[in-house]
Amino acid sequence: MSDRIIMHCDMNAFFASVEQQSNPELRGKPVGVIGASHRTIITTASYEARKYGVKTGMAKWEALQCCPDLILVVGNNRKYTATSTRIFAMMQEYTPLVEVFSIDEAFLDVTGSLALFGSADNIAYRLKARILHHFGLTCSVGIAPNKLLAKLASEMQKPDGLTIIRPDEVVPVMERTPIGDLCGIGRRTRQQLQQLGIATCGQLGRYPLDILRQKFGIVGDKLHHMGRGIDSSPVIPEEKSEPVKTVGHSMTLPRDISAEDEICRYLLQLAEMVGRRARRYGVSGKTIHLGIRYADFETSFGRQVTLPGHIDCSDDIYQTILRILRSFERPQPVRMLGVRLSNLRHQNSQLPLLPEEHRKKLATAAMDEVNNRYGDFKVTFGSLLGDEEKGAAVISPAWKPQGIRNVDVR
Amino acid sequence: MNFTIEKEVFLKALGRVQGIVEKRNTIPVLSNVLLEGGDGELHLTATDLEVGMRSSYQANIRKPGQITVSAKKLYEIIKELPDREINFASKENCWIEVTCGKAQFNVVGLAAEEFPHFPQPEEANFIQLSSQVCKEMIEKTFFAVSHDEGKYNLNGIFMQVLAEDNRLKMVATDGHRLSMIEKPIESSVGEELRKGVILPRKGLLELKKLAEEGEADISLGFMDNTAVIKKDQSVIIMRLVDGEFPDYNRVIPKNNEQEARIAVDPLLHALRRMIILSSEKSRGVKMMLKPGLLEVSSSNPELGDAREELDMDYQGPEFSIGFNARYLLDILQVQDHEQIRLVLKDNLSPGLFLSEEEDGFLAVVMPMRL
Repeated sequence: MSDRIIMHCDMNAFFASVEQQSNPELRGKPVGVIGASHRTIITTASYEARKYGVKTGMAKWEALQCCPDLILVVGNNRKYTATSTRIFAMMQEYTPLVEVFSIDEAFLDVTGSLALFGSADNIAYRLKARILHHFGLTCSVGIAPNKLLAKLASEMQKPDGLTIIRPDEVVPVMERTPIGDLCGIGRRTRQQLQQLGIATCGQLGRYPLDILRQKFGIVGDKLHHMGRGIDSSPVIPEEKSEPVKTVGHSMTLPRDISAEDEICRYLLQLAEMVGRRARRYGVSGKTIHLGIRYADFETSFGRQVTLPGHIDCSDDIYQTILRILRSFERPQPVRMLGVRLSNLRHQNSQLPLLPEEHRKKLATAAMDEVNNRYGDFKVTFGSLLGDEEKGAAVISPAWKPQGIRNVDVR
Repeated sequence: MNFTIEKEVFLKALGRVQGIVEKRNTIPVLSNVLLEGGDGELHLTATDLEVGMRSSYQANIRKPGQITVSAKKLYEIIKELPDREINFASKENCWIEVTCGKAQFNVVGLAAEEFPHFPQPEEANFIQLSSQVCKEMIEKTFFAVSHDEGKYNLNGIFMQVLAEDNRLKMVATDGHRLSMIEKPIESSVGEELRKGVILPRKGLLELKKLAEEGEADISLGFMDNTAVIKKDQSVIIMRLVDGEFPDYNRVIPKNNEQEARIAVDPLLHALRRMIILSSEKSRGVKMMLKPGLLEVSSSNPELGDAREELDMDYQGPEFSIGFNARYLLDILQVQDHEQIRLVLKDNLSPGLFLSEEEDGFLAVVMPMRL
């Protein structure tokens, strides 16, 4: 693991920049990308908008208060996933070791690529130039001996940055870096560390390890290493990553809902989304989880059931979810629903012998095939017929360009 | 109670009930064996309320009585005693004393009154079955019994005798494959068997053990959702699986036309080789049928691939079909004949496996998509 060269590449204001590229009128103007539903939030703000204090996660009215000239654009998720997939493919031309971290970030292990491309900064310049040329997009690149530092480095200069942390610069850099800048130290950990009088990474690295262990358990060791800028975690390309453990979808409802039959319609839709994705990638699961967030935004609820056998049919998932839903009282209207399949088995090439099951499987497969060709929910359950948009509307943080996490978002 | 018994007899008697006693220990008395002495015989009874067994053995009963004691502990004790006569005595407060030579054990038991009632089977409506046939029938179907507790109606072997042919059928399926065997019987059959019953997995294992011991015939009867099985001095009762068994006749393919004959042993060994490089998740192997030739192959993207050719008697068109190799091995392992007949239709329809000569056995396996 010694002497690696890791690159972290972070697309700048990705969704907003893609929108500005596809519509020249938006260029140089404050743009906020929002979701399609009317209770959406700002998912990305362009750099022009950020100057006014517009931030990701703000409600629409909040953002408009910061910047009255803000142009709100409803995001086109397919545009982002398609662009992102092409950028990741470009990265793969420099090294096979590309780990997609989210839709707009990736780690590249370029240690073995130097013989071909000279130096890491050369790779970074080429990659940045190509991304700019093909998509008109800029990105910030960090180059460092490990993932932790590479991510830190890419954050240092935005937009359109290139920051290198050489091995001999690690100690002075860590000395002045606030702990909150490290990926993996969130607000709560930062507060806990501040109570111990730790403000910079340098202080964290020097802090007695036994006290960190006492307070954080095994995470204490990790924090100690993070403070010293040590991170041995490898860059894991998709084909080497651990098999997916869950398949799930969740959605914020257009408005808060109390009526069971309406909730059921959304659950059926979620069950179909989960079932279809499970079937597409040949997995079936034994454990079904229902997650609910209530109208007050604070209270949430989750309950799961483990079945004796594996299922992948949408209506089997739905029936199980109904059983869970009816097993408790809902204290408030529901704001968000989630359905998740876990305890997965990666095999469904075995055809069923019993005629009823075989027919059901064939019918499901036929339905899936039509929907694959003509779009999700083209053939679906009668109770789901209606005009409203269905399917995933938000890109999940776990989105990946290939495999089971490649969720098609509308 | 007080009796003496030969170690060998006592050990065998206790060994037989080990598979029946409740292991989860939810009701303490169910992990015990009931010992009853009287009339020159010792009766041992064990049950988990699903499957129960009662057997009688020769013993020198000095004082009749009854007591229950941990079946596992008593077995462990008897196993380690020297090959001599063992003295067993029950004392006050349900204590028992086991002595053999100079070794002495005091073990705490539970009162016999706490032990569940073991029904006395009536004499009516038993069918007779040779032990050999019973063993064969279980062996050739048991492997297809489902392990999926959700499909409780498939967690056993279905037994039926249809009026038109008076043949005893045993069928098992797990939803992916099915195996079935039928044998003629001479006895007249009661209503339960005409309709069909499902014998539970655990009870079948005990029945098979019983069939493997000695030559005597097995009597099989039914009362109140319970099967009663008698042989020599032993009685097994088991609660029938309460569920509807799927209509197996609809599963057996009727118009498969591509028939191949292939030697069992070489295919068995080839499959054992090919399964090594099959996908660990699916255990799928590909079988390519060509005139006179079977090509079995497997591949695993993480490991590599393997291929083997076998001679076979086949004149149909060339095609390939995928199967879970484990399902095929299960079938091949119970074959008595040199060859097996594969009767197929296409790579998405169930394959039929028949013995070389008509012996009442058949198996159906659904292919895999490869």
